[in-house]
Amino acid sequence: MRRATRTRERLKAPAFAWALAAASGAFAATEPAAPPAPAQWLERMNQALSTRNYDGTFSHWHGGTVEMLRIIHRQRDGHVAERLVSLDGSGREIIRADSSLTCYLPDKRTVLVQERPVGESLVAFPAVSSQTASNYDIREVARMRLNRRDTHVISVAPRDQYRYGYRLWVDDATAMPLKTQLCDTDGHVIEQLVFADLSMPARIPDSAFRPEVSTEGFQWLRNDAPAPAAAPAAATVWSALKLPPGFRMMLHGAQTLPGSSLPVDHLVFTDGLASVSVFIEVQATPAGVGQVTEVRAARVGSSSAFSTVVDGHKITAVGEVPPATVRLIATQVRAEAAASPASTHP
Amino acid sequence: MGADASDLSLVRRVQRGDKGAFDALVLKYQHKLVKLVMRYVRNPAEAEDIAQEAFIKAYRALPQFRGDSAFYTWLYRIAINTAKNAVVSRDRSPIDYNIDRNNEESYEMQGRMKDSETPEGLVLTDEIRSTVNAAIEALPEDLRTAIVLRELEGLSYEEIAAAMDCPVGTVRSRIFRAREAIDRRLREVFEGGLGRTEELG
Amino acid sequence: MNEELDSQLSAMFDDELSHAECELLARRLSRDTELKSRWGRYAMIAAAIRAEHGVRLHVQVAHRVSALVISEPALGAPVVARAAPPRWWRPLAGVAVAAGVAAVSILWLRGQPLLPGSAAQPPLTAAADAPAVSTAAPVAVALPARTPAGSDSYVVPPAAHGAPALVPPTEFANYVVAHSLYTAPVARGNLLSSFMTSESGTGTAAMLLDAPQDPPRDAPGHAH
Repeated sequence: MRRATRTRERLKAPAFAWALAAASGAFAATEPAAPPAPAQWLERMNQALSTRNYDGTFSHWHGGTVEMLRIIHRQRDGHVAERLVSLDGSGREIIRADSSLTCYLPDKRTVLVQERPVGESLVAFPAVSSQTASNYDIREVARMRLNRRDTHVISVAPRDQYRYGYRLWVDDATAMPLKTQLCDTDGHVIEQLVFADLSMPARIPDSAFRPEVSTEGFQWLRNDAPAPAAAPAAATVWSALKLPPGFRMMLHGAQTLPGSSLPVDHLVFTDGLASVSVFIEVQATPAGVGQVTEVRAARVGSSSAFSTVVDGHKITAVGEVPPATVRLIATQVRAEAAASPASTHP
Repeated sequence: MGADASDLSLVRRVQRGDKGAFDALVLKYQHKLVKLVMRYVRNPAEAEDIAQEAFIKAYRALPQFRGDSAFYTWLYRIAINTAKNAVVSRDRSPIDYNIDRNNEESYEMQGRMKDSETPEGLVLTDEIRSTVNAAIEALPEDLRTAIVLRELEGLSYEEIAAAMDCPVGTVRSRIFRAREAIDRRLREVFEGGLGRTEELG
Repeated sequence: MNEELDSQLSAMFDDELSHAECELLARRLSRDTELKSRWGRYAMIAAAIRAEHGVRLHVQVAHRVSALVISEPALGAPVVARAAPPRWWRPLAGVAVAAGVAAVSILWLRGQPLLPGSAAQPPLTAAADAPAVSTAAPVAVALPARTPAGSDSYVVPPAAHGAPALVPPTEFANYVVAHSLYTAPVARGNLLSSFMTSESGTGTAAMLLDAPQDPPRDAPGHAH
């Protein structure tokens, strides 16, 4: 009995399991399958977060303060519904129905509505791939009991200064991340999410996704669907001259932002885990009348934002990466064609 | 040292518009109220919802509270009424899940919907309790006796002083120091994970 | 850490403090989140010692009640105005925080142009056009509530006279939200939670990181 246990323990070491499977097909067939590689845990986790139904309360720590939020998520017949509610008195909520997002900000008496153009398919986030592995060192560093659940502690360490790292406590049974730490390039924790309770019901009714706040008297800011003429092919083509290592462009689309009817080009760059959006807008006001010439940088929680002006266009990069990365990407974006909306794509 | 001075000072502040003072009252009595409500509903999540409702009712009714009875007694009555009404009308919170019990995958880590048991949930409850127990066991005997007599037996400082044959001031100090020692360990539970980046990988 | 104060807190918790001292301490307790956290943990310790089976120790009731009470009318004539929402989880000490991080105000209140160039549009009142959505009204999940067809649903305040002192970070809010659809699932939790909790109800004015005193006159790309 003890011998068998020892053998099983040794099989758990990934390297050994791999060697074993390669050495003897027959033996591999009768032995239990090799445990998933750490990168697979990430993949499973992303799958769980995207496709499962769940309802949980979690704490969000950042910058020395903790807030409680509730998340409800449902996937039904390919349609996603999601609701994130702040439990700390601001009453803020974000409700998502497929690609339409509504942000209720009662403390500002404002509602922000963003809709993706109809027909534009929601890009599924790329799988955790070899690209990811080349930018991050992904390992399982421990098995731990967290709140009486069996979890795999997965460390995702960035290989350079351009991205952040994660430490994830992934539940063995459901692959949900019970605890998530976002770490900066020095390994310090800058953000932490911990579930205080979590349930995964088979069915969640529509009523769970209604806002609790009454929006009487609120101002509504909504983006208009972009005019068909604003399709990317007819407009200027933008790309980045030079990207931080490991980032590649994943998406190029056009939309509008709430409060404006001007088309906005939207590029998305990703390194397999982190993503950076770049928004490009024509500067509408002629020079001299409140025109923005300044360069701006800001943080939204642990995400960074940077905006600058290139050739009469305002370029804003946002992403869950260090400030230097958004700055680098934003300043590297250039138009390939002449910067005139009327010019045709070469 | 009038009876109920502690609660009354907070209540008076709430009655004059200080909402923060109400938080303190809720913090103090939330466990007791949930325990009370659980006589009527066994499900802890549901009991918490009802307790929450009771506190809100109490807040709204506070202008009518004159101090004729102790605050907790008054709160207690509101909670019982709320619980009874909830049981009778099954007035659930808007979100009503219909969990497919045949589906092995859809289990709850919180045990929200299982009426037949009182699952403890995903919680820190276990960790908190064991932390507190360990901390108490580690206390010097005089501190341990003092805090246990206070929390478990509900004795007043004077009664504890008589039982331990020491001045009231000493009782107060011992209880305070006991709480400090336990609290120190408890804070680690809540802050655990952060700052301990060395221990992993 | 003021030992005398904490000792008083402990005594007040046991209702063993003089009336006058209670009055003073109650005032502090109401405002001081550290004190409140400690008070809450005293209650938790008591509950743990009583070892009541089935009652969860880490209850969120107080948190939820506090959130609800905020939207309740204050009783009587307000003596103390609440400046900040309750945060009685003890701030975590000893953890290095990325240098220079500060909360960024996401939304700028009325009176400032929301986006440069949008000031040309005529201002419209929101009250007349915005739908009143109460929690009781059924709202289909598939579509957010729409304003009556034909009416502009956004309010664009009149242009500020002269260049605004702070270019509003409103646009970052839009970008963050638009970006959120393209983040990895695990990162979205962080992103949206941050968005939700940033500058929650502090009521303070916007704080911009790296806000220049004088706008740089150099070509764009020159970071300050």
